[in-house]
Amino acid sequence: MQAVFGTESDALKEEMKRLMEPEGALLRMVFGLFGKKKAAVDVVCPLSGEVQEISRVPDPVFAQKMLGDGFAVVPSGGKVVAPVGGEVVNLFPTKHAVGIRTPDGLEILVHVGIDTVKLGGEGFRALVEQGARVEAGQTLLEVDLAAIADKVPSMVTPVVFTNLGERTWKLTKQGAVTAGDPVATVTQK
Amino acid sequence: MLEKQVTLTNGSGLHARPAALFVQAAARFKETSVKVSKGAKEVDAKSILGIMGLGAKQGDTLTLRADGPQEAEVVGELTALVEGGFGEA
Repeated sequence: MQAVFGTESDALKEEMKRLMEPEGALLRMVFGLFGKKKAAVDVVCPLSGEVQEISRVPDPVFAQKMLGDGFAVVPSGGKVVAPVGGEVVNLFPTKHAVGIRTPDGLEILVHVGIDTVKLGGEGFRALVEQGARVEAGQTLLEVDLAAIADKVPSMVTPVVFTNLGERTWKLTKQGAVTAGDPVATVTQK
Repeated sequence: MLEKQVTLTNGSGLHARPAALFVQAAARFKETSVKVSKGAKEVDAKSILGIMGLGAKQGDTLTLRADGPQEAEVVGELTALVEGGFGEA
């Protein structure tokens, strides 16, 4: 009985395998297409320092996510790199903030320090111009942290996804980071 | 299509908080396209980076251009925000 069952079971398995196969191929194809559309964007940390929740930023515009969700970095070094590859769509005349748009249309704003707009450019040097195409990890700004840290409420730097829309994101690293380290991923829904 | 000119009255111009309020208001009208221009530069009113990139300051004149089913509502709401100084003291 067991032998018969086994045979039947084997036959059934074979039958199922045969039935499943074309479907499996189709499923793989469909998922392959989805996979392409869902490709996650890797975001690298724009500064070296310590990753923090954006809600801890001492400015309600950022902490309440009025500009969008994201994270913050308490910087330990003044080099600011592009968090993603794309176009520099926004470089403020005061060089304290820079916005990048990926070819997929995801926009990320890196706002170095709080109330730094009031410095009028003091302590900031831009290595790229608005409209430039940049690679993830490419240096965008150099900031003289020591020279300006005492003149603003905080140098904590919010990194904001300003147009997530249907996309989701997650932090992939916490605590101490180096500029250029992968720190988050954004996934198309 | 509906077009209207407004003048920025608030002290900080279209930076951070006012920009966020502006974009949030525009984005509520999903079916209606809204553009804002200052001089020759035109941006999407629903893009934070676009709006902040205008670098619009107190006293600047902006042109709102809406196209879609709720164009009058969106232009009315954005005008009220700008002319009300974004609630800034």
